[in-house]
Amino acid sequence: MIAKGLAAFKYFVGIDDLGRVATRNDTICVLNILGAESRGVTPLSHSFSGGNVMFGTSLGRGGQTLETSAGPIPVFNNVREGLDAGYAFNTGVVYLPPAGVRDGVAELVRVNPQLRKVVIITEKVSLHDAREIRAIAQANGIDVFGANCLGIADSWNRVRIGGALGGDSPDDTLLKGSIAIYSNSGSFTSTIANYLATAGWGTTTLISSGKDVYIHFAAAEFVYAADRDDRTKAAVMYIEPGGYYEQDLGFGKPLVVCIGGRWKSKITRAVGHAGAIAGLGDGAESKEEWFKMMLGVERLFTPHDPCFSERGAIVVDIADLPAALSSVMSLQGIRPDFSPRGNLSLKPWFGNSRGLPLPASLDLPLVRPDAPYDQQIAQVERQLGATFARQNMKDCSGASLLEARTQTGRLHGVGVFDAAAAPFEANLCLAVLRETIDTNAGKLVNTALAYYANLHHDPILTAVDTARSAGNSPNTVLSTAALLLGRGRIDRIRKGVDHFIDLFGITILDAAEADFDFTSVRVDELFRDTAVEPATEGLLRALDARGAQSAFIRYLKSLEHPVSVDAVMAAIAATVIWGPLRRRRISRVTAANFPWYLALYGVLIGASANTADHGKDSFCGIPNAELLSSWSATDLAALTLLGRRPNEEDIEVIRVLFGLLLTNGPGTISAQGAKGAVSADGPETPERVQINKAFAGFLTHTGFSHGGNGYEGIGFLLELFEGVPLEDPGAEHGLDLVAMARRFASVYGAEKINRREGGGSARAIPGVNHPVFRGAAVNVDPREVYLRETFERRGHRNVFHEFYCVLVRTLFESGITRETFCVNVDGVIAAWLLKLLWPALKSGKARTEDLEAAAFHLFLFARMAGCAAEIDDHINRGRNMDTRTPVSNCRFLS
Amino acid sequence: MQLGGMLYGSKLLKMIDFPHPEVLGPEATNAEIKDLIDRHRKIVIKPVFYGALGKKGKAGLVASADHLAQALREKERLFFAEHGSDERKVKASGVTYEAFVPSEHEVYVSISDSTRFRAPTLTITHHGGVDVEDVDADRVAQVPFDPLTGLKAFVISNALSDLKAPRQIVSPLAQYLPRLWDLVHGFGISSLEINPIRLGEESAGRLLPMACDFKCAFDRDDTRTGRLDLPADLLSYDLSEFEAEINKLRTHQGQSDVYVVNPGGTVLAPTFGGGANSLVSEILGDDAIISSDFGGNPPYTKMRDVARSCFSHWLMGANVLLIIGGKSNNTDIFTTFKAMADALRAHFGECGPTPLYVVVGRGGPNLVQGMAALRDTVDELRLPYRFFGPDSAIGEVVNYAREADQWMKNGGRELVARSLGVEPVGIDA
Repeated sequence: MIAKGLAAFKYFVGIDDLGRVATRNDTICVLNILGAESRGVTPLSHSFSGGNVMFGTSLGRGGQTLETSAGPIPVFNNVREGLDAGYAFNTGVVYLPPAGVRDGVAELVRVNPQLRKVVIITEKVSLHDAREIRAIAQANGIDVFGANCLGIADSWNRVRIGGALGGDSPDDTLLKGSIAIYSNSGSFTSTIANYLATAGWGTTTLISSGKDVYIHFAAAEFVYAADRDDRTKAAVMYIEPGGYYEQDLGFGKPLVVCIGGRWKSKITRAVGHAGAIAGLGDGAESKEEWFKMMLGVERLFTPHDPCFSERGAIVVDIADLPAALSSVMSLQGIRPDFSPRGNLSLKPWFGNSRGLPLPASLDLPLVRPDAPYDQQIAQVERQLGATFARQNMKDCSGASLLEARTQTGRLHGVGVFDAAAAPFEANLCLAVLRETIDTNAGKLVNTALAYYANLHHDPILTAVDTARSAGNSPNTVLSTAALLLGRGRIDRIRKGVDHFIDLFGITILDAAEADFDFTSVRVDELFRDTAVEPATEGLLRALDARGAQSAFIRYLKSLEHPVSVDAVMAAIAATVIWGPLRRRRISRVTAANFPWYLALYGVLIGASANTADHGKDSFCGIPNAELLSSWSATDLAALTLLGRRPNEEDIEVIRVLFGLLLTNGPGTISAQGAKGAVSADGPETPERVQINKAFAGFLTHTGFSHGGNGYEGIGFLLELFEGVPLEDPGAEHGLDLVAMARRFASVYGAEKINRREGGGSARAIPGVNHPVFRGAAVNVDPREVYLRETFERRGHRNVFHEFYCVLVRTLFESGITRETFCVNVDGVIAAWLLKLLWPALKSGKARTEDLEAAAFHLFLFARMAGCAAEIDDHINRGRNMDTRTPVSNCRFLS
Repeated sequence: MQLGGMLYGSKLLKMIDFPHPEVLGPEATNAEIKDLIDRHRKIVIKPVFYGALGKKGKAGLVASADHLAQALREKERLFFAEHGSDERKVKASGVTYEAFVPSEHEVYVSISDSTRFRAPTLTITHHGGVDVEDVDADRVAQVPFDPLTGLKAFVISNALSDLKAPRQIVSPLAQYLPRLWDLVHGFGISSLEINPIRLGEESAGRLLPMACDFKCAFDRDDTRTGRLDLPADLLSYDLSEFEAEINKLRTHQGQSDVYVVNPGGTVLAPTFGGGANSLVSEILGDDAIISSDFGGNPPYTKMRDVARSCFSHWLMGANVLLIIGGKSNNTDIFTTFKAMADALRAHFGECGPTPLYVVVGRGGPNLVQGMAALRDTVDELRLPYRFFGPDSAIGEVVNYAREADQWMKNGGRELVARSLGVEPVGIDA
């Protein structure tokens, strides 16, 4: 059934004049107005068009508004609610996902008898739905534009409906003139308008038709309406292969048409536009013939062979449209609408020839473009640091990735095995700076961390002590420390870094460079202290002792007055961030926050040690001066974990474990905790995000099951090795590990049966009950294999690790487990930490609970880096409250 | 996404209870083939081609047999037969054995969406069994119908009456052909052709239409194809590993269409927009490695994954990375360029540097920010480059890229490689 429309068509067409396609009288309802696409585009379209959007719909979000510079647009749950609220409209714009488009159109038609036009922006609408949309619209007398289009616009009426013709600056594209544009390509609709302006031609109505199989307002309707539009003196079309829409067109005004896609005759499936694939007789060549006949031309128009008639011309490159149009119009005696704007010659905006001997035609000099681009380029040239695109970061990360194939993590492109070979300080910095640091930066960072670790006389130590004595787990204790390291304690340093950037940002290329004239640099009060502080002196001496280079430290030393510790810390941080910032690897936000991360790293490492270990002149028995001037972050962490001066093997084991534990991707509970904390503060205002609170988010999202399993693993091993004569776990032990494993398997098997009969399930064995490659014949955690093989090559033995390997095999061989379990990384932590602490345990210097806490701390230190990466990434990329779960995805369980 | 032949066609027809002859697949035993011949006296043997290749009969690739030895000879001849043009030759993957349907009437039927009528359209002629293009137009009926009410019996009987078709075939066809619409509209099929339908005699003397060949194309944007439960590789037989990888990233947010033009090409051109795709592919010709459309405002992660896939498959052999599109209306240039820059950096990090000339032609929201982000990366990777804005003609930018490609081929690649400290491997320098 077809509604009655224009008599000239066998099917319904309602619009008889291009001037009626997009008018100031059109009132609009946008379906899915709060979807990502519409949210970005609708506000500008609304403002540009004089506030033509009456309301929008968004399922479940009724009551919200979409803010625009022309005032807020109300949002309803559905169209009927909007109409009931008194809003009227004659045009529907559809931004729904493909599966919802047909029903959306049906809703518009069914509930609004005033509907006259529908513009469908959505791509990939199925043919099934397109057929039905056509039938619904035909039966109800609706003109449809799209789908898969960029909407319609009118330069005279200064209106655009749906889509975003003219992009983010429609005034630059929708220039009032005499040419109507019809284009199968959305981006070419705007591009052609801009190209025509270079020959002085403006536009009347612009229609992005889309190029699906079904085009509803097609070429025939366009030329009919263009003929009746007094403003339109000529038309320009961009046409692709496929379909007979352009056959037998009758048009009384000049027409220049660009036909693209000859190449598409070679392909067997559509690329890009779904309908742009030729069948029999509707390829590009056929369409050329149709237009040649219509326009009375024998050949295509090219700059070298400008073939055209009074009726029009055909081109194959849209860049030839302006010249072809001007030629045709000159025969008609019609002059351009305005003076030409620019030209289409090659004008590189950015370029670098790298000193290569390029021919002149390639080695084009850079050209400063016209406004507004010239100002924008000047602005980015002044900009220091990276800018990141914001998006919903729920379960997403630009920092970490867990590779499905290997089940191993990568942090900023560095795999955990490579991270295991790097010093701890390098991984701590990688997390935030997104690249590895050099030796000099390592010296600076290690000095800062050693300074922060000793909490003597710091209220944090009292709080930590109180939390620990209240029976809290290690992660909870450390989160207390993190929470006390709020912005107020770090703000002067952050401002100092910012100030260094402002002072030296343009001039210094290398922050460690030796010769720099500071005389012209203005001194800031931030860097001044009232007296020479021993702590400052100690830091500066330590940096000298390490041979650390920093232009900013030299600058501070050049000042005639004393400087504060904060000033030194700012200088350290500024030196380390300088390269990544200039290379635009990190943002200025990250640069300013870097000292906060450094302080948190150092404080958390320090807070893991007992209160008594924080002395005025020493930490864990090591003199402060020694720590500051020569200890690395790995050494420092090993010191707190083992409670003694670490040896070479200790440091290597701990360094490797830190690397392997660095990250497991954004899906881990700890990463989710960190990201949630950032999201709740609102990363779109990054200066408000409390990094210490985000660290607390990470820490409180670890626990006995996540992070503390190594903690349980040590308990498990101690239970099994109780009473076993073992002096040195790294030497020839003479133990029958198979027999030990069988004994455990037998007990465990019986317990499993008993529990199952009682309706329960078997207890988990710490460190083994975590199949990485479930169902595989050999089931291993790649990190465990890496560590085992690495240490075997170096001759490091470990009876506990050997036992774990024997145990999983025995459990399978004796039928206790249906598949081979792997020794997971928690088991590895337990085994190796127990080995390192075994002498202390045997001699009574360490208690069992110290061992268990050390295992937990080891995980937390490593993951502290991984979660810092997530925090910084989320601050830079995320949106406010983006980690929340939609209500529709939540369930109530009775 | 096309399907041809009765091996799977019979399964689809069975879903709508449309009669078809008994069909045995390539795995049929000699005993089964003999049994089929014994019961039907004659069988038809056809090669199985993935896709929907036509004109098998004309190419001598359809055989009949009335005894086992003859059937086996034809099996041997056709089992790995080749068919198609030189540009696209396809090898058979076995044969089907189909019961022969004796009939005096052969009918051609197809259902597709006509851009002339802008509606689903039935094409029918009772002069079937040959290519419909070879039949005089006045002997073929093309009848549009309403998709909301579907293909009705009266549409068919009217068409056949207009064609003056034999009276005895009208009723059976009017009874059975509407079922084909259920298959088309209900299962994501974009076009269906059955040629021939042979009208065999039922026991009561009444004619029964039997579909003796089958050809259809699927709409890849219609999830209803999943209802058919066809083997996944059946519909992706013509996709390269790269195309399949990109296909997996296909969502409604942003395009991700690719076609491998020439694996030996030297210009890798991620292209944005259908119009740009047509223009760029036209100008680059076989220099292009792929033809693509990645427009439609893809989110960062999707764009990064698409770029990563492009780079891992093709960057080693490319001389020029050409990032090209018109002046986008809503695609965020910063987001897409940043994603590609990050993927490029990651690729160099994982696979090492490769000599490359980077050319960009683009316009749209956040253009300068996007170009700056990409500029920072290519500067860091020490690659030569030129970025053009929307004030340069897109076709001229593509020509610039072609010239850069020529320069790379004529010794430039070696110079760039030397500046990067790597060997100019990957293509014939």
